[in-house]
Amino acid sequence: MAEYGALVMPPSIPELSRKAAIVGVGETDYHDDYRAQRKPPPGYEPPTTEALASLAFERALADSGLKRGEIDGLTGSFTYGGPPPAELAALLGVKPRYNIANGNIMAGPLPVVCAAIAEGKADIVAMVYAVNSRSVGRVFGGATHLGGAEGYGTPPSYYYYHPWGWSSQAAHWAMIFAHYQMKYGLREEDLGAVAQQVRVHASRNPNAVMQTPFTIEEYMSSRYIVRPLHLLDICLVNDGAVCLIVRRADMARDMVKTPVDVAGWGEARIKHSKFDVMVRQQLRPQLEEAGGQAFAMAGLGQADIGHFEGYDAGSMHLINQIEGYGFAKPGEGVAFCQAGEMDLTGRLPTNTEGGNLSCSYMHGWSQVAETVRQLRHEAGSRQVAGVRNAMTSLAQTDQAHPLVFARGD
Amino acid sequence: MAEKRPPRTLGPGHDQFWEWCGKGELRLQKCTGCGALIWPAAAACERCGDGEMDWQAMTGRGKLVSWCSFHQDYYGGMLPLPYDCILVELVEGPLFLSNPSGFGCEDIEPGMAVAVRFIDCEDDGGAYRLPVFARV
Ligand SMILES: [Zn+2]
Repeated sequence: MAEYGALVMPPSIPELSRKAAIVGVGETDYHDDYRAQRKPPPGYEPPTTEALASLAFERALADSGLKRGEIDGLTGSFTYGGPPPAELAALLGVKPRYNIANGNIMAGPLPVVCAAIAEGKADIVAMVYAVNSRSVGRVFGGATHLGGAEGYGTPPSYYYYHPWGWSSQAAHWAMIFAHYQMKYGLREEDLGAVAQQVRVHASRNPNAVMQTPFTIEEYMSSRYIVRPLHLLDICLVNDGAVCLIVRRADMARDMVKTPVDVAGWGEARIKHSKFDVMVRQQLRPQLEEAGGQAFAMAGLGQADIGHFEGYDAGSMHLINQIEGYGFAKPGEGVAFCQAGEMDLTGRLPTNTEGGNLSCSYMHGWSQVAETVRQLRHEAGSRQVAGVRNAMTSLAQTDQAHPLVFARGD
Repeated sequence: MAEKRPPRTLGPGHDQFWEWCGKGELRLQKCTGCGALIWPAAAACERCGDGEMDWQAMTGRGKLVSWCSFHQDYYGGMLPLPYDCILVELVEGPLFLSNPSGFGCEDIEPGMAVAVRFIDCEDDGGAYRLPVFARV
């Protein structure tokens, strides 16, 4: 399954830092599309991958102020299939000299484009991502996950334990939290603060799928998916597209909007003993290693980061990342959130658009779009005051892919 | 009565694991190079890359590291909800995912001692014996 495909990340070296900047972002109407699909008006057809991709591209192009003819690079990233490179170029009306299929989920595709720009393959690359998991009826968990040739690249923990009834990403986060509770003495309702905080952020984002804040009592009465995790601990499934326009950094200085430099990236994967690393160590060795690579490449450290986007496929996994990158001590991530440190005025404003839990499940792409808005200082009522550097983290059950961004002025 | 269960992963290595279970033995692969115990079965050692593996008998004893309880039906009604899974640290070191036998998530205490037993199950690959863990 290409979802976990082996996209080769360019090396995390200072020579590639700040060689490219994001100069345009576009997203689709997550909130409206989700509502329409849940309660379809008569004759409603869900938007196709192509329609979603086109809309995100047109919005990013308009946002950048560039002309269509200036786009000389294009990449397509699709989680459940999409047009091949030549078709995508024709669809969008561009004639790129650099045009590739570029993996799918963040973070790998962005470093790939930064390296291509540094190598002179293109000067302005439109990166298009689209996913239609809801309209194709994508199921997360169950016997649809297989090993062997059919399930190429799927981690064994997604299918190997079927005989014991173990399935789904949610089960991974549940087992991590149950152990975390035993180790640090947390109550089940303590974790509710994480999804609650992310929802508060989403309440300030008109494009977030879910915008209504909830109480801890409402959290506790939401149904269990995999106990001890509730429905509100698990991310959304929705359709949408994101486009990022990335330009050679030295050509991006005189644009209308402040460019956002791609300053660093990292990558680390669990090589063995997955349950031990994931459950008992909360992926900490991988987060430390990959975070260290990204910080070193960017020449920045934790204290420089004013905005964080973490991969909240599950609430607990966001805590894994907050702790693993060193923003909170081991065992203190939930308390960090409860103390308001992830809110706009806290030490690490986190998932300010509403993350995967409340805004949109774009597999990390919408989180990069939010980072750009924050660093441009155009996030409106959810703006982090004066933020200059940000970290965006992709992290699955067995790997970590952080990105570090810097305001390019 | 054999319990109907969702499908096992079968094939080289995996088949041997289930054969040992059929004899009432919990055995994991042990790398002859670095000594690592590997589960699930693999063609080569995931730690050192060596290809030589032996099947090593486990004592079947361990302690409970984590748990979860499924309220969402991922298997089309095959398993009555809710049901529990546990993560057991075998005394030999590896973490083994299984089900509790004779106790549930309400009874769980950190580090509680458990021991393996085998229950009769079946899937499309036929009848087999599934390792689960009871309190000791
Ligand atoms: Zn070995």
